[in-house]
Amino acid sequence: MNALGLSSDEWTAILLSLRVSTVAMLASLPLGILAALLLARGRFPGKSLLNGVIHLPLILPPVVTGFVLLILFGRKGPIGAFLDQHFGIVFSFRWTGAALACAVMGFPLMVRSIRLSIEAIDKRLEEAAGTLGAGPLFVFLTVTLPLALPGIIAGMILSFAKAMGEFGATITFVSNIPGETQTLSSAIYTFTQIPGGDAGALRLTMVSVVISMAALLASEALARLVGRRVEFE
Amino acid sequence: MARRHPWIKIATALVSALWLGLAAAAAPANAAEKITVFAAASLKNALDNANAAWTKDGGAEVAASYAASSALAKQLEGGAPADIFISADLDWMDYVAKKELIKEDSRVNLLGNRIVLVAAKDKAKPVEIAKGLDLAALLGDGRLAMGEVKSVPAGKYGKAALESLGLWSSVENKIAGAESVRAALALVSRGEAPLGIVYQTDVSADPGVAIVGTFPASSHPPIIYPAALMATSSNPDARAYFDFLKSDKAKPFFEHEGFTVLK
Repeated sequence: MNALGLSSDEWTAILLSLRVSTVAMLASLPLGILAALLLARGRFPGKSLLNGVIHLPLILPPVVTGFVLLILFGRKGPIGAFLDQHFGIVFSFRWTGAALACAVMGFPLMVRSIRLSIEAIDKRLEEAAGTLGAGPLFVFLTVTLPLALPGIIAGMILSFAKAMGEFGATITFVSNIPGETQTLSSAIYTFTQIPGGDAGALRLTMVSVVISMAALLASEALARLVGRRVEFE
Repeated sequence: MARRHPWIKIATALVSALWLGLAAAAAPANAAEKITVFAAASLKNALDNANAAWTKDGGAEVAASYAASSALAKQLEGGAPADIFISADLDWMDYVAKKELIKEDSRVNLLGNRIVLVAAKDKAKPVEIAKGLDLAALLGDGRLAMGEVKSVPAGKYGKAALESLGLWSSVENKIAGAESVRAALALVSRGEAPLGIVYQTDVSADPGVAIVGTFPASSHPPIIYPAALMATSSNPDARAYFDFLKSDKAKPFFEHEGFTVLK
């Protein structure tokens, strides 16, 4: 479909980016909350190591992260071959691979955000709930989670934004296949590699700016909304 | 606070001076007079060897930049400083020629090549590439790795060959377009793609792949590598190096990889 002056290929890239980023954000959310809880409240040997590993994608060059994913989850990699043989799940050249790369890259940002907000919760509220007879899971679901909600939302938005902007790890892991793994960033890159592609690159750049601004404004509005409900009188 | 600790003022002055000094010293040093060659990715092995021999013989050092000819043409259009451009097809040389970036009278057709179908070495089963080949079945649920079909020369030749053999429509949706022919080669070598279309000369560069079939030369436009001196080249050694590439001394390096040297 040729709408709004963008070709159908360009729309494919935009919609794929949105789909990959949304899936990456939602899929890593449960794990992110768990990791943040462990790091915020847990006391166990190897906690610093876990913290380090979770933050690796933030510090490593994205291409290195993509390469590590390729070694582990590629068709010949240990995890990739296992998933392929037993479950038929393949990441190579599929949008699921792009989503995995984006989820991994955005994970440290999500965990940091959620962890900070969990640490800021007054433990006495949780303890009070406990003295009134609530089990730990109930306390978590009805006291901890709602109080941590601003941080969780911020983490989700950060992870989504990082996923939208992800390039190095995605292109190293799952290449640049239009319709499957050619996200917005990859499409812009392809345009810049072809003589005469500057117009297309500029069009997609403007779309990226619009989407990013919308995501930022939405996150501000959401944070304000949730913050208001969580405030004490 | 500075009044009670006068050393703060001195320390700030010293650090600023040091920082500015370092910045000035790091200013671009004299660019050594290296000959810069922009060459198609498939030329890497042959040209690296030829350059080593050239330098050993006393020639000036050569800095070669290898990428898909489309990407190189784009860089040259953007003003990248190169002395020589060797493209993998005539289209991209014509493109830079039209922008008046080359010395027209220096342009020559240097080399020829063939395209082949490859697979990972342990999975290679020879097939005959002709009309009626069930390429889609050979691929299964995998993809055919080749250079980006709209821009990378190897991809363009590959698509032309598949179209003339009537195989394009059956594999059109199963293409994995790579940014250069060497990237496509790596995809096959790594097992990510079961089959790929690369140059015959690329096979010797990667021991992990083997030829499954050779495309008939009649199925695609002749593969010609034109070379030319760039108009903005001011390096006095560039012309001598260019003549070396065209000479019999450089011939064995190209023929060793499988290129045909055109005369």
